[in-house]
Amino acid sequence: MSIAFPSEEWVTAFFTAINESPEYKEGGKPWTYGVTALVVNPQPEIGLTEAYGIWLDLHEGVCREAHHCTVEEAQTAPFCIFGDYARWKQVIHKELEPVKGMMQGKLKLKGNLQIIVRNVKAAQALVTCATRVPTRFLDEP
Amino acid sequence: MTYDSSLSFIFMNTTRVVFGSGSSRDVREEVRALGCSRALIVTDAVLASRTDVPGRIEKTLGDSCAGVFSDVVPDSGVHIVDAGAAFARERGADCIVSVGGGSAIDTAKGIAIVLKEGGSLRDYEGFQVLKRPQTPHVAIPTTAGTGSEVTYVAVIKDHEAHQKLLFGDYNIIPNTALLDPDLTVGLPPHLTAATGMDAMSHAVEAIHSQQNEPIADGLALHAIRLIREFLPRAVADGNDLVARGQMLIASNMAGAAFSNAQVGLVHAIAHTVGARYGVHHGLANSIVMPHVVRFNAAEVAGTYRPVAAALGVAVDGLTDEACAELVAERLSDLCARTGLPQTLSSQGVPESALPELAEATLADASIIYNGRTVLGADELLEVYRAAF
Repeated sequence: MSIAFPSEEWVTAFFTAINESPEYKEGGKPWTYGVTALVVNPQPEIGLTEAYGIWLDLHEGVCREAHHCTVEEAQTAPFCIFGDYARWKQVIHKELEPVKGMMQGKLKLKGNLQIIVRNVKAAQALVTCATRVPTRFLDEP
Repeated sequence: MTYDSSLSFIFMNTTRVVFGSGSSRDVREEVRALGCSRALIVTDAVLASRTDVPGRIEKTLGDSCAGVFSDVVPDSGVHIVDAGAAFARERGADCIVSVGGGSAIDTAKGIAIVLKEGGSLRDYEGFQVLKRPQTPHVAIPTTAGTGSEVTYVAVIKDHEAHQKLLFGDYNIIPNTALLDPDLTVGLPPHLTAATGMDAMSHAVEAIHSQQNEPIADGLALHAIRLIREFLPRAVADGNDLVARGQMLIASNMAGAAFSNAQVGLVHAIAHTVGARYGVHHGLANSIVMPHVVRFNAAEVAGTYRPVAAALGVAVDGLTDEACAELVAERLSDLCARTGLPQTLSSQGVPESALPELAEATLADASIIYNGRTVLGADELLEVYRAAF
């Protein structure tokens, strides 16, 4: 059964996928830089009337906590990545590499890009985890 | 140069470019064309104290000049940007005119943000987070190298945290660039050579980037042709206005190329040795570039065939590998002809530091676009040793 993205169920499934991932356990080991928040920009025509924040407390290869958050809360995280729905969909489909997306303005990063780049393996492993969540997209029938 | 059906890119080049001997005398009109009337000049302390260039721009602006902020230093800092923005606000400035090299132009990009958005520059660290056009900015480069007058990135140091902060946003690309060869005639030969090779590295890196694309490639290849022909002339005779002008154009084209296609391993190494040992950025680029070409050639030798042609090599009948080797040799020759040192050891980098430098280079953002994917510090150590 597929899970709608974004939703609290999806965030829970993503949390599980991260913590079950050997790739993230290894690739995310150097990450000690605090919370990364993801924000899906609103898109009312697909039912996303408000920005949807995902709070990921990542530390040394483990996701200690994941929950839905407001955009205001998301912006308190040391790293906050914003994107339109279509862009996040491309990330989950591995059609858009997040760091390249940030540099091209397809995603927006609030935070230190150098730290993200230094941990690019962790970022790639996170994307792999997202692909493992059976996802239903709101703009698809 | 081949592109396949997966080619997909965004090309941004929004700067109005005004070129010509004496074009800086149009600064007042260009400021007004942006709908502004009070321009803050942002320049560096050395240029302001040792040349009359900022003074000439101030005089040309006349009553459209809100003041001169000349506190920019190499490796400009967040505190300098914040002070500049406060000064601009106090003087009622509604636009920025930057005069100088990369540090002055990058500082001005930062001031443009803080003047528009308020707070401190630290609040805007990140990529593409700005939601609207920033304070209008006219850039007047006095070196031909950085291409900063057309790029979307500013590098500003947080001196308290001992960190270089990256600000990347299409909203900070300067609105206008005035390329006036007259303003570069005073640049001494060694700086002319080092900044010129910086421009060359932007062009070569744009082409061997994983994000290369036809528009940026076209700009980069012509930049290479211009630099090959005119850099030795500009170094030999600083008053050669034709050579100075063509170098400004080459720097601008290479800047537009790498601002879109990005840079690679050459810059990752130059940033690292610059931060640790203070090696001049353009000089560091010129030292390591031939060695990075050889390193990349193991996987993307074909990339260098058009570069070789642009450097004057008759490429017909040559293998891609031979073209790449000739590119490396021609780049070394150009350095030698312009009097640039060609080893890291000559710049005070100790051999014992190479392993640590190789490790540190892996963390530089530029590395992710390098034509050949870097798999580990061991590979980089070989490049460092070759450049030592």
